[in-house]
Amino acid sequence: MKPKRPSSRDVTAASPAPSSKKKAPITRRTGTLKKRPTPERRPSTSSMENAPTATFLPEDVEGLLPRSKAAPAIVPPRGKPEAPRLDDPEEEPAKTTRRRDPDAPSPAVVAQIRELEAQLDRLIDEASRRDLSSLAGEDDDDDDAVVEPRIDDHDLEVTRDALPSDIPATERDVYEDDAHATQEIAAHTASHAVAPVARQSTPPARPSERPSVPGDATVFDTARELLSTDFYLRKWGRLAMRGRSEEVDDFGFDPIYEQKARAVFELLYTRYFRVETTGIDHVPSRGRCLLVANHSGTLPLDGVMIKTAVKLEHPHPRDLRWLTEDFIFHMPFLGSTMNRLGAVRACQENAERLLSKEHLVAVFPEGVKGIGKLFAERYRLQRFGRGGFIKLCLRTRTPIVPVAVVGAEETNPLLFRVEYLSKALGLPYVPVTPTFPALGPLGLLPAPTKWQIHFGEPIDFSGHSPDAADDELLVGKLAERVRATIQGMLDRAVGARKSVFFG
Amino acid sequence: MDLTRPPQGGLGPNDGAGGALIGKRPSSRVVVVTGASSFLGANLVGLLEEDPRIGRIVAIDIVPPSTAQRKTRFYEVDFTGASAEARLSEILSAEHADTLVHLAFMSSPTHASAHAHELESVGTRHVLVAARQAAIRKVVMWSQTLLYGANPSNPNYLTEKHPLRAPMTEPYFADKIEAEAELMRFAERSPKVVVTVLRTAPILGPTVRNFLTHYLARRVVPVAMGFDPLVQFLHEVDAIAAFKLAIDRDHPGIYNVVGDGVLPLSTVIKLAGRLALPIPHPLARSMTAALWLAQIVEAPPTFMHYLRFLCVADGAKAREKLGFRPAYTTREAVLDFTSAQRLRDVKLLHEASP
Repeated sequence: MKPKRPSSRDVTAASPAPSSKKKAPITRRTGTLKKRPTPERRPSTSSMENAPTATFLPEDVEGLLPRSKAAPAIVPPRGKPEAPRLDDPEEEPAKTTRRRDPDAPSPAVVAQIRELEAQLDRLIDEASRRDLSSLAGEDDDDDDAVVEPRIDDHDLEVTRDALPSDIPATERDVYEDDAHATQEIAAHTASHAVAPVARQSTPPARPSERPSVPGDATVFDTARELLSTDFYLRKWGRLAMRGRSEEVDDFGFDPIYEQKARAVFELLYTRYFRVETTGIDHVPSRGRCLLVANHSGTLPLDGVMIKTAVKLEHPHPRDLRWLTEDFIFHMPFLGSTMNRLGAVRACQENAERLLSKEHLVAVFPEGVKGIGKLFAERYRLQRFGRGGFIKLCLRTRTPIVPVAVVGAEETNPLLFRVEYLSKALGLPYVPVTPTFPALGPLGLLPAPTKWQIHFGEPIDFSGHSPDAADDELLVGKLAERVRATIQGMLDRAVGARKSVFFG
Repeated sequence: MDLTRPPQGGLGPNDGAGGALIGKRPSSRVVVVTGASSFLGANLVGLLEEDPRIGRIVAIDIVPPSTAQRKTRFYEVDFTGASAEARLSEILSAEHADTLVHLAFMSSPTHASAHAHELESVGTRHVLVAARQAAIRKVVMWSQTLLYGANPSNPNYLTEKHPLRAPMTEPYFADKIEAEAELMRFAERSPKVVVTVLRTAPILGPTVRNFLTHYLARRVVPVAMGFDPLVQFLHEVDAIAAFKLAIDRDHPGIYNVVGDGVLPLSTVIKLAGRLALPIPHPLARSMTAALWLAQIVEAPPTFMHYLRFLCVADGAKAREKLGFRPAYTTREAVLDFTSAQRLRDVKLLHEASP
């Protein structure tokens, strides 16, 4: 071992000492690049035996199919040439864990994989630098010089031949989520795919006949990859389905999607609107309940904030389901997004079904009239529909928790409603706020007012029989009572408020 | 064919005076199946062949079912013909049938809309008139949950009480809704007859071929951009089992026969291993209309509603009253279909005729 290339030494030292720990998926990759001092050269025959046999399955469908014995995705060349070419047992579960549970790998494994990826990037950079320098002309000298220090077998011919067979292209599948790494890996390894991996999209690249200069081969392989339509189809498919889970409940609620969106909502809740919540204990931890709230703001953010409040502040966080207007489901992207976040169309059957399943349901009886309040009428509750929510509670014996949301009115103060284009657009009206049509779509961004959400005492209708739902007078009276309660809470809160933006 | 044989006995439908093929069992039943060589008809005939309680099966269609065996007698009747009604009455009376299973409906939209109208709407009328004349005791009819229509104002689960609001401009729906209306009128006028309507969710499975299987068999499946409605399917064996349940016992009324669970359409396409191509829906209408005229797509533009809005039925009544327990959930039905479709894709599965 000639102590010649300090840089290679350093890189070697930086790699996870494959000789000691035996888990370096990176090393195998870099093993193809003949300038690589670190990765131990394996005789090409043994590398063929342990060629990758894993099949490529889209990670989403994988979970559905019966688990077969996990085939090792990649077989890295090992540190000690004498050591048998074994798949690293530690590395295998890491791979399979990563592949089988893309949504929930253990943190230790994730950390390990990230570390290995970082090393891979470093080594690839190192190798590509070396390749470029080899293109410049210093060829065999470098080989001898570089390779010598690391390998015990000193087998240079083997080194060169080992190039094509080492790296399986399935590596790219392991690092699916890291598009950058994918590109890199594809560029460097596509030419070296030997094993016919099932459903490998690019045509299995022939192992380079000539002892090709790796720099040359990589350019062609990137080009081949990018010119194949399957590459783009795969990316399209992945992008389109990213973030959606396979499991939706009976009403279309998607817990994984909601979790991802919750990050944004929590940011809005804590930093942007700085919501203060009182009376969260009035919301029951178990069993059905109907939250009745006032509706304001041009965008239905109050529903989102109430949902986040229950999730963040309540001692037993629960999922909140909304009842939304029909026209939401007419519109292209909004309808399905809201449905996946837990909203359903507001009608008696849906609400009764949700409540009978003991969900927490929020309803905004003011409806579109509430959102469409002009700024001059702010905090004055409109008529609470036809008392449909009262009938619902009477029939299903559900307690009502009145909720007052303060601060939403001023996020997008509505100056004027344009109802001229309502039929054409499918919207009830087009709002005109100080910012909206003036600044384009950005004008709909809400102003960072300070919000307060007050949960009132639960109102229980168990004193009435379910048949009371047919009594219109009673229903009207009870609706008015709820409305008055919320109005009272609003008046108190708005009166005590000193500033719109700072509370 | 066999009308020349005079009826034997003649004491009533259940006196076992059927053909010489079956022994004289007093409780043998005679079941008439119209549309006997359709998917549902052929499979039902096969299933009834194995049921010892069914004495005789009368299969009526224009092509004999391949599952017909010893118990089945086939009559060729073209419902669109002039003398269909008269022939049917003769057959039903001659055979002393006690149960009529009416499956003569198209499972996919077709360009031959006049023929389809004659078959489904007018044909049902003929069948019901014949049934009244032959004093049939029980009528089971096939219908579809698609007839509820996909409107944004649909609740998430449609019960049997909801009106059928599919767009009447589309003959596929209009004919079937008219057939159901005919059956309701028949039921009102003949209160002693047990009338059962089974509204099935779209049927998926390894062997069934309809517009839905053609849609999901495409490499690139067009969907409406921005819409991802929840859908539900019924597996083909569950569909047949539901009809068998309705035949075995008396369950008057309308039942939604659906598979368990719902799936978003995007998940269905992903499970089928296809690529979804989102098309903005204003564009989609005119495109689909043109492609439908050119007979390239399998459904006319009104079916785009089902790619946008919900049309999911609630199967609770069938579960409680009919005792129908689907063996396959919606997801399993899709997966079962996909596994067979994959074999078809690589030509490892050859079928006799589409």
